[in-house]
Amino acid sequence: MRDMSNEKKPPRATKTRTVKKPAAKKAVAKKPVAKKPVSKKAVAKKVVAAKSTRRKVLSWFLRLTVVMAVALSIWLVYLDAQVRSQFDGNKWTLPAKVYARPLSLYPGLLLSSQQLKAELRWNDYKAVTQVVSPGTYGKDGSDWIIYRRAFAFADRNEDAVKIRVSFAAGRIDSVSVNGKPQGLVRIEPQYIGGIFPAHHEDRELIALQDVPPELVAALIAVEDRAYFEHYGISIRGILRAMKANVAAGRTVQGGSTLTQQLVKNFFLTNERSLQRKIKEAFMALLLELHYSKEDILQAYLNEVYLGQAGRRSIHGIALASRFYFAKNVQQLNLSEIALLVGMIKGPSYYNPFRQSDRARARRDIVLSVMEEVRVISSAQRINAQGQAIRVAESGRAGQREYPAFIQLVKRQLQTDYRLQDLQNTGLRIFTTLDPWLQHATEKSIQQHVAKLERQASFKQPTLEAAAVVTSVDGAEVRAIVGSRRVQYFGFNRALDAQRSIGSLAKPAVYLSALASGRYNWASIVDDKPVSVAGQDGSLWQPRNYDRKNYGNVFMVDALAKSLNQATARLGMKVGISRVVDTFERLGVDKSIPPYPSILLGSISMSPFEATQMFQTYASGGFAMKPRAIQALTTSDNQVLTSYALQGRQVYSPELIENLRYGLQQVVVQGTGKRLARAFNTTKIAAKTGTSDDQRDAWFAGFDDRHLAVVWLGRDDNKSMPYTGASGALPIWQAIFQQSGLEPLTPLADLEWSWVNSYGLAVEDNCNGVREMPFMPGYLTNNKLTCRDAMPSTAPQIDGAEQDSKKDNKDNKDNKEGSGSWFDWLF
Amino acid sequence: MVRLVVLIVIMVNFLTACSVLPKPADDYDPRVSQSTESSRSETTGSNYADAVDDLLRLDEGQHHPAVQVLLTQAEQARQEGNSSQALAYLDQARQIQPRNSAIFYRQAWLNYQLGELQQARQLLQRAQVFLRKSVVNHTLLQHRITALKTKVDARYLD
Repeated sequence: MRDMSNEKKPPRATKTRTVKKPAAKKAVAKKPVAKKPVSKKAVAKKVVAAKSTRRKVLSWFLRLTVVMAVALSIWLVYLDAQVRSQFDGNKWTLPAKVYARPLSLYPGLLLSSQQLKAELRWNDYKAVTQVVSPGTYGKDGSDWIIYRRAFAFADRNEDAVKIRVSFAAGRIDSVSVNGKPQGLVRIEPQYIGGIFPAHHEDRELIALQDVPPELVAALIAVEDRAYFEHYGISIRGILRAMKANVAAGRTVQGGSTLTQQLVKNFFLTNERSLQRKIKEAFMALLLELHYSKEDILQAYLNEVYLGQAGRRSIHGIALASRFYFAKNVQQLNLSEIALLVGMIKGPSYYNPFRQSDRARARRDIVLSVMEEVRVISSAQRINAQGQAIRVAESGRAGQREYPAFIQLVKRQLQTDYRLQDLQNTGLRIFTTLDPWLQHATEKSIQQHVAKLERQASFKQPTLEAAAVVTSVDGAEVRAIVGSRRVQYFGFNRALDAQRSIGSLAKPAVYLSALASGRYNWASIVDDKPVSVAGQDGSLWQPRNYDRKNYGNVFMVDALAKSLNQATARLGMKVGISRVVDTFERLGVDKSIPPYPSILLGSISMSPFEATQMFQTYASGGFAMKPRAIQALTTSDNQVLTSYALQGRQVYSPELIENLRYGLQQVVVQGTGKRLARAFNTTKIAAKTGTSDDQRDAWFAGFDDRHLAVVWLGRDDNKSMPYTGASGALPIWQAIFQQSGLEPLTPLADLEWSWVNSYGLAVEDNCNGVREMPFMPGYLTNNKLTCRDAMPSTAPQIDGAEQDSKKDNKDNKDNKEGSGSWFDWLF
Repeated sequence: MVRLVVLIVIMVNFLTACSVLPKPADDYDPRVSQSTESSRSETTGSNYADAVDDLLRLDEGQHHPAVQVLLTQAEQARQEGNSSQALAYLDQARQIQPRNSAIFYRQAWLNYQLGELQQARQLLQRAQVFLRKSVVNHTLLQHRITALKTKVDARYLD
């Protein structure tokens, strides 16, 4: 190949000279014209005058010629620099590739066959009866056989392997490779999108030697038969095209060589002008001068535009064959090769997804041309033409996009990397996305939002929704949806909608109370109406949702039933500054004004921020920012960064376990009761949230594996006929019904005791009304014997008074609390 | 009569064998399966106190099969001097058993060796919080966590 390019160099060198010739010729051609006046007979004076005029004209022409020649050569030098600078080195900006988490298969894993099947399908695995090639799967009795493709994981390269997976009782029983049992085998992660520059070009690069020779031959036969003979432009090609166009009366054929097409796509715009055409021709010549035919062909195969997937444009045959056929270029058959080559003429006109008849006709033409130039035999042509157009299943990963998740990935990476590097250098980003959970979340939102709108008889799309799902222990983001239109690349409500969180704030108030040591779940709190004078003299008078007053209630019931009056009173007594401090410890990243209204959630947060707050409860007391990225590698798989678990302990596991009891009571007896019936367990921690006038409906809850926060509302911030329990809870429920719910397991041991109606811990069988948990050690000094618990004991309205007398250490705090008590309550 | 007794004995043996042999997948349920730390006193020549206080290899002890694979890979990477890869394997193990104290301890142990003291401290907090449920012989692991915490704190406060 090298020799070939060397051979061609001499003629090209002469070509440079010929480039300048037209200019020189012009000057020569003008001479006879200038001679004409000289041929006339005239007086000597006149001759002298004419001579001087002639000389003048001649000299002007000469000057003009020189100027033009100089200008042309400057322009050519400029073009040449442009061609070379763009063609050398990195020709393309390679978008970063984003992958989901790999599916790990190991004994004991709870995995449904629907999930396994869906994940394989989304990952372009084909179901077959005989599993003989990578990228296929099938079943052998009840066992699954999966031929995993070779893949460069973030940590190491793994070869293609044939895996046998057997199941027992919904869990994987064993995993083996070539008959040998394995502890762990990974399926390569699903490609979920790229981080594209503004023009959204996506491509995969391929070397010419990896392209099937039939494809190259077909391309040359169809697009530019004289490719290996011409020097960038083909006069014969132009003449032939002109003839054909004149005969047809319209443009039916282009005279552009492959080199010209490449130049057009690579350096120029789509503008149709003579100027552009000239520039294109010169650049084509320059390109051929500097680079071998093979280099140019390889560039062409990687540059060529072959279709559109949403905003993403598909460039290069490597990506196109994956996109249309879910195959490597090497795996393409003749029919597919012919179709790809044929589509270059008009990727959307011949789109096999939508225009399969046109695509088929075009493919057949290409196959005939291939036979004509003897690339294939006539038997091969007949065989290939007999095949139906088979494209990859629609809805597969190559076409699906996860806009909200990709936005999050981009945002999290931009703290460490420049956007430019993400768009240009072909980085590989391994993320935490769980495609199965993402699917469940998308489906739940789409179905329920539509259903809720029907129920409320909204005539047009009115409601919007967003959700974030994370793992409870590691805060890995498993799913995120930023709009009911899940494929929408626009305003991401999960990240950017700042909405009033309503009662989602309440657990922080109760956590502050529990952490103060002065309250436990049995403490009696007063649910009388509240009225607080604001700084501007206005009154804050929160009411309960049902406008009722519940009087003295156990603290746990105030949370479970989401009582506003009781929570406001409790929060004021605990001290607003303490509650503000709790928000900060939970990881809320914004300044929270110390107003009483924050106790009931007049704080705005995005669903993502609310998730971060709940993450601390879900993780057992570790404050963590939800994280979407696992590792980042270069295009040749050098690990740049690998993100580890972070997060410091901000609350003890006992305290969080105690808070979780309250959150579980929401499901046992409170606003989330519906879940207990749906899942047949009460071991779910959750909280509903509804903002003023029902502008926002929230539901945040977690099981033993996942935390999900769901928001429902309107973009115009108007009210809607839904609350957290009626609007957001059903979406949460649907997500966990699809992904599976694992009941919570306790984090730490609490001490349990019966309590009497005054909220005091009593011995068993002493008029106890309910059994409740206490912090370890509390009961040693605070459990009443049956005699002490006789009705003569004065009723305790409030745990605070009782405890503050006992404990001098807390006295100061309590004064602060009770100081404000009298100021605001009347 | 003798025949009957023999038959019964055989049947009983057969049934017991049957009930033992097929190991149900539930044993491997990562939420239930526990790690066992090994004191190594019998396997290595080092003295007992050292063996109790410290870990020699990341893949010591008995673990869930998937975790075992990853710990072995982590140890291999560590020996090859590729500590970031070792950490990546440990984190994969953590994701399979997110509340296994033995894994958090190993993550902290490696972070300490790499001088990532802040990270080591945070991981030890988790090792402590999740200790009671995830490890069979947790007194040994408790001992190790405490010993490592002392070392980390000493260097951290320097």
